[in-house]
Amino acid sequence: MGWQFFFDPEVLRQMVFVATPLVLAAQGELLIQRSGILNVSIEGMMALGAVVGFLVAYVTGAKLFGLVAAALAAAILGLVLGYAAITLHAPQLTIGLALFILGTGLSSLLYRMVIGLRFLPPMIATFPAVEVPVLSELPIVGRWLFRVPAPSYVVIGVVAIMHLFLFHTTIGLRVRATGENPRCADSLGIPVTRLRYACLMIGGMLIGVAGALLPMMLTGTYSEGMVGGRGWISLMLVILGRWVPFGTLMGAWLFGYVDALQYRLGLTIQTVPPQFMLMLPYVFVVLVAIRAYRGAQAPQALLKPYDREARA
Amino acid sequence: MYVAALAAALAINTLVIAILRHDPWVAYKTALNDSLGSIGGFAQTLNRMTPLLLVAITFSLSRQVGLANIGMDGQIYVGGVLATGIGLSLAPAGLPAWQMVPLVLAGGAMAGAAFVLIAGVLRAAWGVSEIFTTVMLNFVAAYLVEFLCTGPWNDPTAGEAITYPIPRTAALPMLITRGGAHTGVLLACAVAVLTWGLLYRTVPGYEMRAVGANARAALIAGIGVTRVQLIALTLGGGLSGLAGAIEVAGVHERLLVGLTPGYGFMGILVAVLARYHPLVLIPVSFAFAVLVAGSDSLQRTVGFPASAVFLVQALVVIVIMVVEALRARRERYVI
Amino acid sequence: MFPDPARDYQCPDQLRCELKFGGGSPITKQPLVRLVNVWKRFGSIQALAGASLDVYPGEIHVVLGENGAGKTSLMCVLAGLYRPDQGEVLVNGQQFAVRTPADALKLGVTMVHQHFELVDNLSVWENVVLGAEGGRFALTRRRCHQAVRQLASEHGVEVDIDARVRDLPVGLQQKVEILKMLYRRARILILDEPTTFLTPQEVDTLLVTLQRLAASGLAILLVTHKLRDALRVGDRLTVMRGGRVVASLPAAGGTEELLVQWMMGEPPAAATKLLETARPAPPAPDAPVLLEVEETSTVGTHNRLRLQGISFRLRAGEIVGVAGVAGSGQRELAELLVGLLPVAAGRIRLSGVDITKLPIRDRLDRGLVLVPEDRVRDGILPGMTLAETVVLGLHRHLFPNVWYDFARAMQLGRNAIEQHAVRAPHPLIPSTYLSGGNIQKLILARAVETCRIRAEPVVVALNPSRGLDVRAVQHVHQQLRSVVGRGGAVLLVSEDLDELIGLCHHIVVLHRGQTVAEFDGPGYDRYSIGEAMLGSAA
Repeated sequence: MGWQFFFDPEVLRQMVFVATPLVLAAQGELLIQRSGILNVSIEGMMALGAVVGFLVAYVTGAKLFGLVAAALAAAILGLVLGYAAITLHAPQLTIGLALFILGTGLSSLLYRMVIGLRFLPPMIATFPAVEVPVLSELPIVGRWLFRVPAPSYVVIGVVAIMHLFLFHTTIGLRVRATGENPRCADSLGIPVTRLRYACLMIGGMLIGVAGALLPMMLTGTYSEGMVGGRGWISLMLVILGRWVPFGTLMGAWLFGYVDALQYRLGLTIQTVPPQFMLMLPYVFVVLVAIRAYRGAQAPQALLKPYDREARA
Repeated sequence: MYVAALAAALAINTLVIAILRHDPWVAYKTALNDSLGSIGGFAQTLNRMTPLLLVAITFSLSRQVGLANIGMDGQIYVGGVLATGIGLSLAPAGLPAWQMVPLVLAGGAMAGAAFVLIAGVLRAAWGVSEIFTTVMLNFVAAYLVEFLCTGPWNDPTAGEAITYPIPRTAALPMLITRGGAHTGVLLACAVAVLTWGLLYRTVPGYEMRAVGANARAALIAGIGVTRVQLIALTLGGGLSGLAGAIEVAGVHERLLVGLTPGYGFMGILVAVLARYHPLVLIPVSFAFAVLVAGSDSLQRTVGFPASAVFLVQALVVIVIMVVEALRARRERYVI
Repeated sequence: MFPDPARDYQCPDQLRCELKFGGGSPITKQPLVRLVNVWKRFGSIQALAGASLDVYPGEIHVVLGENGAGKTSLMCVLAGLYRPDQGEVLVNGQQFAVRTPADALKLGVTMVHQHFELVDNLSVWENVVLGAEGGRFALTRRRCHQAVRQLASEHGVEVDIDARVRDLPVGLQQKVEILKMLYRRARILILDEPTTFLTPQEVDTLLVTLQRLAASGLAILLVTHKLRDALRVGDRLTVMRGGRVVASLPAAGGTEELLVQWMMGEPPAAATKLLETARPAPPAPDAPVLLEVEETSTVGTHNRLRLQGISFRLRAGEIVGVAGVAGSGQRELAELLVGLLPVAAGRIRLSGVDITKLPIRDRLDRGLVLVPEDRVRDGILPGMTLAETVVLGLHRHLFPNVWYDFARAMQLGRNAIEQHAVRAPHPLIPSTYLSGGNIQKLILARAVETCRIRAEPVVVALNPSRGLDVRAVQHVHQQLRSVVGRGGAVLLVSEDLDELIGLCHHIVVLHRGQTVAEFDGPGYDRYSIGEAMLGSAA
């Protein structure tokens, strides 16, 4: 097993592929955190997005409807978090955890109520790989980057848009200011509450779509617990990427790489029990977290509710 | 307010049962009977309450020092693993029950403590958020259990992912023999009272609460913040490990993949509702145990999905938190 | 906070009327904005009780009053930050709804807060254009850059507009704040206690700038509790006390004595006594050295300044002041002394014992106490009771066994209420409910109790009187004096030069983490201290 094994184009293609939902969820969380709210319910939002997206796609047969429904469902959870955290100044962490549990419970309940118990789980067609005409013929890079399903390309576009939005638009500047010093932003006439709600909604939608991509890209079916910690990992990716869109993209690819490698290793090495291979990504992110937290500087107003008339 | 929350939860529950095309009235009657109305049901409730209470104490302890340990499921798993391991490996020695049971329980507690210590050390040394590491370690522990249940310890005669049974001498003594309630619930309640004593009647407990209330003020007052946090975290992890050992020694008498049906997350809700107060945890965890036992019953009779209980519980907690926040907004006052 | 004492001292009536109506200098211009009969209540505190104010273009209007008089609250109402319970804002005689800061901005009302409201992690130009980017969607760096640079050069502000605000010294941050307000075409500029953090030299420059801005037609509201500044530049003075306006007069009509009486609401003798900062008697020449810092340095980090070669001594019965422009290393020095920051080089001795490497706990147990700067953030235990907060830090001494003695804690809490004037109904009240002044009293009570335990205590106090009203400040000073009176010593770090000059036997000046000058009292020269603070001396 030489070095080629680790740089096998198929592993790299898998990396981009499996990282896609992570990238998207991390973008959503990044936007939310930039506005000063810590959303720890991503895992629950993704679970809800996964089941709603799957069900709507299964029933209507159109994946687009599924994606839209998933976005709306997760945004509703975001709205609850927003009402509690922004309007009522409730502790974001506890509300977030409760919403995470709620999302998890609700998603499997919805699946059971619509589908019921079946011996064979219903399937939907997954997004097919799209080969970009000329680029996919490029040596190495072509197979690596340009033969993945459509959402993977779109998601990279989302990263670029998020970057442009945050750093090259006036609203992006206002969002950043809101996450750092809401009092300052407010005294300059920036609608802090509305901005935070908007970020939470849009971020929640991205997270919901990310959840819907799990059945639509990876498995074709829904199974309980299919999010498998990806929400939490996205949360860490935001920190690892230092609240910068392209930083989180890199982090997500790194995780995607380990996941793809783990899968590949499991196929190659039969002597190690599969459970240990499956553990690998989780152990890996814990190790990466050490790097992520070193010197990380979160938006200063993160976790702090803003009350205009509170006297400092 | 609590009535409103319960009413909301009940309404959702009823809706779900109605959608599943069953008579809610009949369903609730069975559920009530199977959780509180009969000896067997009551015993089930007590058995459910034991891990819930211990896990809620774990989360409360971590919150009391300003951390959030949400990896209780993982700690239950590793506690169960070591408890099973001790039980299986000491089986040939033929120790009497009074030696065997404490060994198994202590093993579970130690495993849980050691497991959470990973997160604790990462937090102390590099500031890695324990929320993240504990939840990731949940997955590691779950895969470990799956490996043991399907691999080395698998009982081939069972045909499922479960291990060989532990010896009878390692089983917890029964509290209500007819319903199958084990004595773990007494142990859990004792732990809750002891935790209360620790937090509110001793200096280390005072230091823990001070750290949780304001870590920087505590630091300025000469309290070793990191040390106090590590101790509370480890203690809590031990309790969750103990819960795992009790599940093994009291309920299943072996290790299995579904050792915890999400007790860890339910424990978070219990603790939030009880505002992390160890004594309040006892009635709240009992109430939640009734819900769990009742939903077990609904699962058997009307095919009520197991995970729905999460929804109901989380809903209760969210409604109560929102109502409390609404009230707090009205009575802002300063001397 | 303290409510206004019921036995309000009333100044001679005919005098007040005469002054209030300008004594014959008719004001011909239309007011830009009038605030009429504004009331505002925060919980149990009546912050504003029927205050009124007129603002005319082109004037410097000084709003004078002690801390807690309601000046800031009134300004926050004008700036749209507080919604008044009662009262109205009139523009051209018409009622104008100022519900949000955005409404106030439409009127051209801008406010520079005492502790500034800048986004530390954004650059200067981003801060200046924030919220007034020009109505376009895209944020064009080049265009904004140009506009900000032009504005800065117009007003003679030299600043790297790409620098992050957190890296700027405080004086410059204030200029950025003012630029930010001018950028959005302010017609009324409110400055809340703008001279607090400045050296006497910087104050001069600021006041000249303000006069120039007023001459260009801007209305300037200068909020301050310092008579000196008020009398120097004010065109008109409004004196507030207890949420009311007690007098409004042209500056020429106010004498220092009268203003003090109005501000304090006490007869002349009592008023001057309240303002007095009596320095305790100087320590005996042979008094033992309690704290000795020798050539001490720290390692700087990204948010901690590096201290270099700090040396000074603190003798029993002495109050030593540390002066410096904000962010010169005062916080780091205090943290270094109590053990929050590790020492890289040098030596610290406490009563002759080397404590350089001792942990916080051992230093505290030896009688080295910190009165933290941010009392709400560092002083209290939110969610725990007053009694539990009082015993923090003392608990090791009070409860030598493992058991937490509830009764003993209660006793201490009651003691804090009765002897240290903490205003609370009982010791079991959650400490979150305490106001800033009460928290400070609580922290001082704790410090004083610690001093009772140890024979030779050293109290390191970081800006202990910041933001407190006169009586609370009196209380703080009295407590510090009592520490010294008991044979202890106080290191007083303060941004208020007047406080240092009034209280300290000796003043050490910090500049960029180094001690640049030392002064012996009494007889200090404000300007030479100011020069040292700016780093231009020696």
